[in-house]
Amino acid sequence: MNVMITGAAGGLGRVMAIECAKRGYNLFLTDRNKAGLEAIKIGLERQYGIIAAAKKCDLTDCGDVDALFREIDRHNIRFDMLLNVAGIDFEGGFQDREREKVVKIVSLNDAATLRITHGVLQRRREKKPFYTVFVSSLASMFPMPLKATYAASKRFLYDFALALGQELKHENANVLALCPGGMVTNEEVTAAIEAQGFFGRVTTVPMEKVARKTIDRMLRGSGTYIPGGFNRFLSVLGRIIPRRTVAAAVYWRWNHTQKKWMQL
Amino acid sequence: MSDKTVVITGATSGIGLETAALLAKEGFRVIGIGRSGERCHAARKYILEAAPEADVAYLTADLYHQREVLRVALEIHDILAEKGNGELFALINNAGCAQSYYTTSEDGIERQFALNYLAAFLLTHKLLPDLIKGRGRVIMTGSESHKGIRVHWDDIMLTHRYHPLTAYKQSKLCGMLLAKGLNDRYAGMGIRAFVVDPGLVKTDIGDKAGGIVKIVWHFRKPFGISPAVSAQTYGWICRQETHPAGLYYCKCQPCKYSREVTGQNADRLFQLSHCLCGTEQNSEVAQ
Repeated sequence: MNVMITGAAGGLGRVMAIECAKRGYNLFLTDRNKAGLEAIKIGLERQYGIIAAAKKCDLTDCGDVDALFREIDRHNIRFDMLLNVAGIDFEGGFQDREREKVVKIVSLNDAATLRITHGVLQRRREKKPFYTVFVSSLASMFPMPLKATYAASKRFLYDFALALGQELKHENANVLALCPGGMVTNEEVTAAIEAQGFFGRVTTVPMEKVARKTIDRMLRGSGTYIPGGFNRFLSVLGRIIPRRTVAAAVYWRWNHTQKKWMQL
Repeated sequence: MSDKTVVITGATSGIGLETAALLAKEGFRVIGIGRSGERCHAARKYILEAAPEADVAYLTADLYHQREVLRVALEIHDILAEKGNGELFALINNAGCAQSYYTTSEDGIERQFALNYLAAFLLTHKLLPDLIKGRGRVIMTGSESHKGIRVHWDDIMLTHRYHPLTAYKQSKLCGMLLAKGLNDRYAGMGIRAFVVDPGLVKTDIGDKAGGIVKIVWHFRKPFGISPAVSAQTYGWICRQETHPAGLYYCKCQPCKYSREVTGQNADRLFQLSHCLCGTEQNSEVAQ
């Protein structure tokens, strides 16, 4: 099993890579952070004795992605699995952020994901099943003031994953949309979750469990995976309550949280 | 002023800082390691206020990640070559953390295991030539909590069912095994390793962990002793002319430790750690 993972040097991408390595899959890792990428590649080879390749790539740069695929073609690598993990967010209101930073959210979370997915689908191993995950977010279930661009970019991935799943239904490919709530990836996130108080704690899901279950689900079939019972409940609320009301409620809560967080 | 150098990790707060201050006052040359440059600076100032004559240097390194450990080991090596005849008198592996959630280091290693144990293993391994030259001591910051647990050999990073306290306890048991393994291997070359149980100490170890650990720590912390009290045990070990005989010390007295601390387990852990760090047994000593 050859697996491509984007955003593999940090957070969920790294834990996904660990989970895949544990299952004995061979990995092709990309990330923007070169030192981190080398560290995880070597770490996984030592821990699990798998074959891993790593190439630094800025997915928002078309030329960089072309170079990545040229490298893949040169070694004639074919893939069975693609985990689209790379994504970013910058906290704060739309007007408080720099113009290009806002645009970058969309160009990485959406445009870059399409670029990679298209390229890898053309390089899938023939006559074998293919599996792919799009890491969306619980935020994709609601319009989210103060995280407006991020939530909308994740909604794009969510809808796209469901639609692509139908397109590939008869081509032996599974497409899973993963919509996690908060996950503790580093110390700043720990602080952010603490700032959210009760809601932060109940929407937080253990990352290692998410990684394991995501891969299990993807191997079983297409669909959506929302980790955590409380998060599933919230996503149902998001569907039955009018979207304007949801937006107002979310605004009220995030405004409060972000003020508290900024004080930390 | 003696010409003995002591390296202390996690020396910007809590037990590490008080130990650094105590040893600096007693005339040891102290090299402290901390994660943030700002806090290193503050710690150095704190020590120099108490002991203006002291010879204190601080190095910045994020010991979670192996490349940082390797870098700081080289820096220490250079300082020792320049100032202390390449001799290291004591290495105090004190840096430690508590985490509520499963998180990983850059190398894909669970963070409590990475910092509390593996960083200490790698740093000690890289400084072995200096320790042998100085007939040095290695002191681990241990914990009473290493008792009543085994090493989970089949899933040492606890990826399957992560429990923060299990991971903490296991990392401290691994620290004991490191000391045991070092004694088995290098006692003949003059190195001796110890584990100090500092007791329950008022430090900020649990404050940044978030989640359950933060809540538990909130209730336990007020019953703790001051870090200056537990620093005494470290000071006592460094002050002895000849190596003390025990392995596990609490309040300057040798204490009983877990039955899991066996040569066999230590061998197994050393083998695994060499694999995780990409190092080889005895490669440093052969040089």
